Amino acid sequence: MHSPINRRSLLLDTSRGLGGIALACLLNEQGLLANPSSSVPEIDPEHPFASRKPHFPAKAKRVLMIFCSGACSQLDTFDYKPELIRRHGEPLPGGENIVTFQGGQGNLTKSPWAFKPRGECGKMVSDLVPMLGELADDMCFIHSLTGKTNTHGPGENFMSTGFTLDGFPSMGAWVTWAMGTESQDLPAYVAIPDPRGTPQSSVNNWGPGFLPAAFQGTDFNASKPLRNLDRPESIDQATDRKTRDFLSKMNRRHLENYPGDSELAARISSYELAARMQLSVPQVSDLSSETADTLRMYGADDSQNPLKAAYAKNCILSRRLIEQGVRFVQVFNGAYQTGGEGVSNWDGHKDLENQYSKHGPVLDQPTAALIRDLKQRGLLEDTLVVWCTEFGRMPTFQAGASGRDHNPEGFTAWMVGAGVKAPFTYGATDEFGYKAVENVATVYDFHATILHLLGLDHERLTYYHNGIQRRLTDVHGHVIRPILS
Amino acid sequence: MLGIFTMPTHRVIAIDYESDILPILAQHCIDCHGPDTSEAGLRLDNMLSALKGGDSGEATVVPGASDRSYLIARITHKDPSKRMPPDSDPISEDQIAALQQWIDQASAWETVAEQLTDQTITHWSFEPLVRPEIPSTTNATSHPIDAFITAKIRDLGLQPSETAGREKLIRRLFFVMHGLPPTPAEVAHFVSDDSEKAWETLVDRVLASQRYGERWATHWLDIVRFGETTGFETNRERPNAWPYRDWVIEAFNSDKPYNDFVAQQIAGDAMGEDVATGFLVAGPNDIVKGQDRLLGLMQRQDELADMINTTGTAFLGLTLGCARCHNHKFDPITQSDYYSLQAIFAGVSHNERSLPLDPASEGQLANIDKEVGLLKQKLQPYLYDPNRSLGGTAPLKPKVLREPVNAKVNIEQFQPVRARLLRFTIEATNQGEPCIDELEIFNGDQNVALASSGAKASSSGDFVHPLHKLVHINDGRHGNDHSWISSKSVGGWIQIELAQLQSIDSVQWGRDRTGRFGDRLATDYRIEASVDGSSWTLLCSSNDRQPFSQEKPKEPTYDFASFPDEEAQLGRKLHGKLLALLAEREKLAARTMVYAGSFAQPGPTHRLYRGEPTAPREAVPPAAVKSLTPLSLPADAPEQARRLALAKWISDPANPLTPRVMVNRIWQFHFGTGLVDTPSDFGTSGSRPSHPELLDFLASELIQSGWSLKHIHRLILTSKTWRQDSRPSDQAIAIDATSRMLWRFPPRRLEAEAIRDSMLAVSGKLDTRVGGPGFSGFEVQPENVRHYFPKTSYGPDDWRRMIYMTKVRQERDSVFGVFDCPDFNQVVPKRTRSTTPLQALNLLNSPFVLQQADFFVQRLDDESKTAESKIKLAFNLCFGRDPEPIETQSSIEFINDTNWHAFARAMLNANEFVLIP
Repeated sequence: MHSPINRRSLLLDTSRGLGGIALACLLNEQGLLANPSSSVPEIDPEHPFASRKPHFPAKAKRVLMIFCSGACSQLDTFDYKPELIRRHGEPLPGGENIVTFQGGQGNLTKSPWAFKPRGECGKMVSDLVPMLGELADDMCFIHSLTGKTNTHGPGENFMSTGFTLDGFPSMGAWVTWAMGTESQDLPAYVAIPDPRGTPQSSVNNWGPGFLPAAFQGTDFNASKPLRNLDRPESIDQATDRKTRDFLSKMNRRHLENYPGDSELAARISSYELAARMQLSVPQVSDLSSETADTLRMYGADDSQNPLKAAYAKNCILSRRLIEQGVRFVQVFNGAYQTGGEGVSNWDGHKDLENQYSKHGPVLDQPTAALIRDLKQRGLLEDTLVVWCTEFGRMPTFQAGASGRDHNPEGFTAWMVGAGVKAPFTYGATDEFGYKAVENVATVYDFHATILHLLGLDHERLTYYHNGIQRRLTDVHGHVIRPILS
Repeated sequence: MLGIFTMPTHRVIAIDYESDILPILAQHCIDCHGPDTSEAGLRLDNMLSALKGGDSGEATVVPGASDRSYLIARITHKDPSKRMPPDSDPISEDQIAALQQWIDQASAWETVAEQLTDQTITHWSFEPLVRPEIPSTTNATSHPIDAFITAKIRDLGLQPSETAGREKLIRRLFFVMHGLPPTPAEVAHFVSDDSEKAWETLVDRVLASQRYGERWATHWLDIVRFGETTGFETNRERPNAWPYRDWVIEAFNSDKPYNDFVAQQIAGDAMGEDVATGFLVAGPNDIVKGQDRLLGLMQRQDELADMINTTGTAFLGLTLGCARCHNHKFDPITQSDYYSLQAIFAGVSHNERSLPLDPASEGQLANIDKEVGLLKQKLQPYLYDPNRSLGGTAPLKPKVLREPVNAKVNIEQFQPVRARLLRFTIEATNQGEPCIDELEIFNGDQNVALASSGAKASSSGDFVHPLHKLVHINDGRHGNDHSWISSKSVGGWIQIELAQLQSIDSVQWGRDRTGRFGDRLATDYRIEASVDGSSWTLLCSSNDRQPFSQEKPKEPTYDFASFPDEEAQLGRKLHGKLLALLAEREKLAARTMVYAGSFAQPGPTHRLYRGEPTAPREAVPPAAVKSLTPLSLPADAPEQARRLALAKWISDPANPLTPRVMVNRIWQFHFGTGLVDTPSDFGTSGSRPSHPELLDFLASELIQSGWSLKHIHRLILTSKTWRQDSRPSDQAIAIDATSRMLWRFPPRRLEAEAIRDSMLAVSGKLDTRVGGPGFSGFEVQPENVRHYFPKTSYGPDDWRRMIYMTKVRQERDSVFGVFDCPDFNQVVPKRTRSTTPLQALNLLNSPFVLQQADFFVQRLDDESKTAESKIKLAFNLCFGRDPEPIETQSSIEFINDTNWHAFARAMLNANEFVLIP
């Protein structure tokens, strides 16, 4: 080895286009490529969750994300395609050359559910989700989302973290890192897994990635309380309280050796916050104060459909968390694969009609009730509700099967509440609902828009990790301005 | 020196940049690619910038070759959405012709090319390592580290802190070096040791302990994203990944020279350290392989990116992964560099590999085989013969058959023949149409069948499927995903036409060398060669193989009963001996499987435009980062040689990055922050060192000591800087709040592993067994998609150190994971340190901690009698010191008011318990 930088060897390779780096280096020296204005939130170690101002004023103060795990089909819910119905049973033009996740294509297949005009706006929504359809006037649809992967794990990662790979911070972690929370007695970010279990890429959906662990989602739901929250049965309340007091005294005495040490002080306050959470989390999770009318509206009393009742309780829990000012709530409909494809989530490859007949009613009434409830309590004024899934499904049935394969080329999400136009429809897929063709949007755009609605500039919200100023939107993303109110 | 580019010998039409070209560029291009905006990093307002090109990695201008210049390609693109300038009419033909002439006029570029050569990138970490002068101090015996540190502290108007008390020092030493507290006996011994070398002796003892390797391996495993499941949605177990963890522990404990440590992780299979290549495949990989071809290509690109990125960050502190889609924005790493590095790793696959036998076993096996051969010869007369039992006499002539075909790999050897064509005809399979993943034809040790070497494949007909293609038969890639399937189940053939007539002497073929698939295996086949395609010579066939069966080949049956007693007895004795030998052989020959990757000769690697597998550009040879020091390998270099070359390139003492990066890591794990606080980014967007000379001093010490990490530890630990007290001072905090200049030792919270291990140590339950398969923190639901439920009850299996807890990606340990444990998906050179209420809840209420509190109480009862002595023992175990009288007093009051368990629970939650003081 000789000189550390061998300029000549570089130049000799100019024919392969190596020259560009020199310019990059020169520009860097001149500061031209420096990150324009990355903005690192100022976090007080003793109060890491204190509410922090966003980059600019915005209507939305918090986010409620409803995530349908398994890839909920746009064609059987919100993306109405008369041409698909008309040409039901015909081959998809060019379909013989399309190999999707599980293989080749069968014929174009209309939804087993009829579409009807809903609300005053007359938006066509299928009979699979009629109660959600009734809310069409409040909804802002994006029909032209596109993803980067057609497998579930990476797809969920992409929707929740902006990267298909594992290990990146979730959107909720980014948001709470930036903005803290309004409730100092509850976790800043709560993930509510489906009653059947965690979603397909599991805790990645609410993980902190490389952000400080404090900003990960805390996961619990109405049927599975927060782990280690409760005082162990073997310890009585008085002993528990006295133990904390003794511990606190010990820690304060120890702190005298390290006056002003913020990490040690933060640890003392974390025990105090934990004690407050022991009161506030059971309180917020206790649905016994909800009226019978409310339980009925959500379907939480549906004894015929215990799964729906359990999901409905999760929806009520979400509303209660939002009411308390929790910054980011992520509620899941659908769990990891168990019992076969599409049984525990929206992955309808082989038997779509049968499986979606079960999933539709679980999703529909409770989610619709959640939105109505938020609206009637005035919470939609400053809460953004987002409905999404990892990607869409094909307009064809799979060759030799009665279900739809994965399709990241065009799928639907919708938003309700603070900062978005409603009723509104943005973007469109082609005549069959296969590919996004009008106002094509990416998941990066979707993320940039959600951050924007909270007052965060997705290009400025960066965190240095391993040589890169990382963003939720990587190096992509444009705010979808036409949907902003 | 002569110009790099040849002078045109005739037809010199002088095109002048200023007068002929600049106006064209100004009209169409310079608004976006000029001094004001340089979109895509490209400027065309002067020839130097034009020659440099933009971020895309494409050659904007290739002097003398407009047809290969990206500038021309983009302005003449047929697709209007890709044609430059965007959203406007194409540049006129005349102007395009002028631009082409300008580029083709190679001589005009010579000066510019020289200018480009003369530009140098100066960046501190790329500079050669020069051992710096140690600053002179008043104290001649001063430790070099203190000399460097004190000089800077004094510049700030600060003073170093006093040396900490011995109780604090030994506690700090054990936490930093072992991740465990010292025992009360160790503390007492050190505190009362009045020998001059008390500290040095203690340091040596600590460095000699196995606990040291376990602690520091934890750090290394973070840096290389080591996990024991695949990650992604299925998150399957890798049950044989743990040997790499043990290898790392042992490497630290035996003070393996760091240059070897580095090289072996990249090419240990070439250095007798096979387990070490577990490094290459320690990251996640998506095993959900769909039918969509693009998906598979992307997954493979991601796997390789993970290897490249981890190699770059871990060893070199370079974020090589940034150049996957475009030239690195800040560092001198081009997109071509990235794909050249990809060519180094292109033959590595996520797989288990069987470890080679050690030479001793090999020798024993050879002896056994010889003996077995002799015994079998002696036993030949006894071979079961149906005729003999009917009174026949002549013993059967045994026919020695080759082993049956197997799905992984079959070797066919024959006398060298000269051939141009080789044909493999399949007459039967065990199931379905025949599949072959790769057909390799050897001339000596060279595979001459590769398409990349000019050989051409043809067949009787191909099964139509995106994964299975004719081109896969000789693309250098193994496994089902790169295989050929015949359209016929009987009588199908595949043929390779070699690039030239040559001598061949063996053929290797397999169904799926990764071992996943065993169907479609050719069981009846023949291999023929030809010079001219008309007359064929049979080289080998399945005829002399034992018949295929899914079971192992059976040993022959012997018949002793039809022999006279004496002979029969002899035969039985020989047979008994044979069976014993065969059993011994089986035991000896059993290979250990390790998740350390499998290797195969890769085909050509192409640069991918914007990192898209669908946009391959020119082929690139395997190489390292060219702007650092050249490493050139032929495009068809053997797989292992590629990795070995890179391993040597990285661990070469002349590579200034490798030692700098490692001593900085060591510094970081001692003091909490490195001299460079961006430990895996020594590039231009990383931070500059706080003490550049000290960093270089340590780096040169590392090399001079024969790459001994323990030497560096010893240097650091014997400095006054390390032994300073950690108490803050208002005056110093006002100047240097984070103690970065080290006017004190910065105290910090222990990591997850050390907290858990310390609890076990204090409760007396810690199991210090070293190495071997780990223990699980989860109950596993064994569905296709694995699901991990945290354990709720714990027993002795769980009392080992946390480094032996199986690292399940995504799922952090339910109690200690919230203490900023990485999830082993991304490399983590430095953990975050956050403080959360969930941490408090887990330490207060989890069954694990409560159980340990029980054991702790039990231990106090067992080892002490009175309340005072129990409290004293508890303080010594948990905090490494005696309690103050007031502490004893308040403890007794608290215990009287509650119980001993409550006291134990509080102690295990105390700040002092989890602080490196």
